[in-house]
Amino acid sequence: MATTGVQGRAVEGTGGGGEPFAWSMVLPLVRAGFMGFTGYFAAAWITAMIGHTVIVNPLPATVGYVVGLLAWLAGSGIWDGWIRRAFGGAEAPALTGVERYFRFSSDPKATAVRYVIFNVLAFFFAGLAAMAIRIELLTPDSTKWWLSEVHYNQTFGIHGLMMLLAVAASAIVGGMGYYLLPMMLGARTVIFPRLLGLSWWLLPPAAVAVFMSPLIGGFQTGWWGYPPLAQNSGSGIVFYTLGAATLLTSSLLGGINIIGTIVYMRAKGMSLGRIPMFLWGLFAAGTILIVEAPATFTGTLMDLSDMILGSHFYTGPTGHPLAYDDQFWWLFHPEVYVFVLPAFALWLEILPAAAQRPVFARNWGIAGILGITMIGAMVGVHHYFTAVSDERMPIFMTLTETISIPSGFVFLCALGTLWGGRLRLTSPALLCLMAMMNFLIGGLTGIFNADVPADLQLHNTYWVIGHFHYTILGSVIFSWLAGLYWWFPKVTGRLVNEFWAKFHAWWFFIFFNMTFLPMFILGIEGMNRRIAVYLPYLHPLNEFVSISSFFLGAGFLIPAANLFFSWRSGKKAPQNPWGSKSLEWHSPSPTPYIVFPEGSEVTVVGPNDNYAAGAPEPFVWAPTTAGK
Amino acid sequence: MAVEMARPLMDPAPERAKRGAFFFPMMFMGILSAAWFLARFMWGGTSVPKGVDMGMGIGLTVLMLLSIGPMLGARGKLNRGEDAGAIGNFAILMVVAILMIAGIISTWGAIPIGTGYGGIYDVTSGWIGLYFVGGLLGLLASFMKGKRVPERFRNERWVAHNVVSFWGELVLLWTAFFVVFYLL
Ligand SMILES: [Cu+2]
Repeated sequence: MATTGVQGRAVEGTGGGGEPFAWSMVLPLVRAGFMGFTGYFAAAWITAMIGHTVIVNPLPATVGYVVGLLAWLAGSGIWDGWIRRAFGGAEAPALTGVERYFRFSSDPKATAVRYVIFNVLAFFFAGLAAMAIRIELLTPDSTKWWLSEVHYNQTFGIHGLMMLLAVAASAIVGGMGYYLLPMMLGARTVIFPRLLGLSWWLLPPAAVAVFMSPLIGGFQTGWWGYPPLAQNSGSGIVFYTLGAATLLTSSLLGGINIIGTIVYMRAKGMSLGRIPMFLWGLFAAGTILIVEAPATFTGTLMDLSDMILGSHFYTGPTGHPLAYDDQFWWLFHPEVYVFVLPAFALWLEILPAAAQRPVFARNWGIAGILGITMIGAMVGVHHYFTAVSDERMPIFMTLTETISIPSGFVFLCALGTLWGGRLRLTSPALLCLMAMMNFLIGGLTGIFNADVPADLQLHNTYWVIGHFHYTILGSVIFSWLAGLYWWFPKVTGRLVNEFWAKFHAWWFFIFFNMTFLPMFILGIEGMNRRIAVYLPYLHPLNEFVSISSFFLGAGFLIPAANLFFSWRSGKKAPQNPWGSKSLEWHSPSPTPYIVFPEGSEVTVVGPNDNYAAGAPEPFVWAPTTAGK
Repeated sequence: MAVEMARPLMDPAPERAKRGAFFFPMMFMGILSAAWFLARFMWGGTSVPKGVDMGMGIGLTVLMLLSIGPMLGARGKLNRGEDAGAIGNFAILMVVAILMIAGIISTWGAIPIGTGYGGIYDVTSGWIGLYFVGGLLGLLASFMKGKRVPERFRNERWVAHNVVSFWGELVLLWTAFFVVFYLL
């Protein structure tokens, strides 16, 4: 049967949401929070008492964090959902309704929805930190009436770490990726659903610890955590290292699921050439994490060990502080591709459906994504040109600039897809085009950063701040919004309000550029990053940037309200509102608990982006054969 | 009942997939260990300092190499469907894991942590020790599941297979650890 009609049947009672919401369902979340805080304080106090010290010192804070994390997990429902049955105890309860959103669940859809909520909250609080930063910079010296230098340092450190690891790293990969990964492959779930469920529960404790770090002294190092400043910077640095390690672990559990699911769980006929572009982006992100996270992960733990165990990896007689830089950037340069490759891939998923044209030069697009993955592994040294020998600089300069070639493939694929197509400029498509425009500026200015003679002038100035906000806020977050609007009907069965979506897209685009474009000029004129006090000649432009940024920040209330009210009372969406041929739209919207009903399996018989008139259906539904 | 039918539907990965994909977390854990091992050459100097607990190092390595026997035995029994026998082998490996954890802790302090070698030794062996804790929990889970609900153990035999694979990785990693920290 080559229609989507077969998807009308869902297994009885497993459509999800059978039971109406009741406040008692929130109990596991509340219990987890209560147990987490109690565990933290109990362990920190006991450690402090044994060690004759105070709970804000590094060792009690570390022990408290570890115990608090385990206690939080214990309260999350992981015991009856996983551990108990794994040790031969009673079977886990089957959670098919609303309750699975508020507790440990092995359903990747519930996990992904929780990711979206978490990312939105983290974006909100880290965004407040950004507003605090811009208030500070309204005048050349605001330390008397706003943040002191020490508090300013804590603020931008929290802003950076949270925006990168609690928003950018999981916004597209988590919120969209984990939802779509099995559906796009024709699988009912991911390869290790419980590990994926666990990945979400690692996020909140890490984020809470980082946001709360000022309570135990904060950290002065920004999101880098460079020694020896780290060791002289307040106990909050242990929440930085532990938070970063926890967030990396979470990403990694997702990465393992991405790779394992793509390798082992593809539907029949889903050959490598037919895997949707978006999944290629996820595949690249997962590969980067598995291969490159270890060096950085060990770096954060060694930094911590120097602070609590008395080792001397980065400080003291046997310390090599620059080794930390190497370990840090080993992953954290490629990490930007963990953010941006899924965004690239998302454009190549949305634009073909919006323009009703197949992806142009599809294999070149895949080659571009994989090329960036490979070259990106070798460029981290460009972050400390001022600290390395002259011989090393040209190598890393050349490698870094080479990245623009595979990036160009992706851009040309997107442009070629639009060329001659009849683009329906819906809000997701509009946001994708804006993201491309912003990334173009971010990418081109990046070439100057990579170029040694220019970089020796520009490094650690607002030029760099402008550059990476164009690539991360300007393209990843624009793409995140595009994805949220695009798959909103899939998840909720309703459409977002198109007027407000477009209105905010323009608001975002205009104030984003008004905020960050002047930063390039500021950088050239000598405005250093990470300083609370600057010279008066930079005042007018900073004032302009700050005021623009307040509009930019306030504007996010529009999509927040739009998503909320559309979820509650938006227009009912048809099953496939965008006319996409991708597999996820072949199941009902909103997605039932079991995506593909029992008794039928999908077989892929053609490319999922052939929009030519009269093109054959790419998917065929066949009865499940025995023994599957 | 619909919900009971839903369970296998919602975790439909076949055994081949569950066992094959377990390679990816094992690969990550291997790369992570390699990062620690390489750090030994960065911080630990070019030779093994006097005062390392060579006897304990050799003893633990021999113990791990001997554990290959019960490990392969467990694999063979799982392949033949002799779950009860495999569980017996798991009990032996659990004893080995406990001895390994105790042995690793006993070597701490042989070289002070504030020195280059001592620092990287303690942190690396501590990390490998965490792997042993993980392995012990995995063995215990499979052991208890096999005793209490043999049918579930049989239906999810891939779990036991993965625990055995993980033990294989532990043997490799500990041997590499011994070579890097005691011999080179
Ligand atoms: Cu970089």
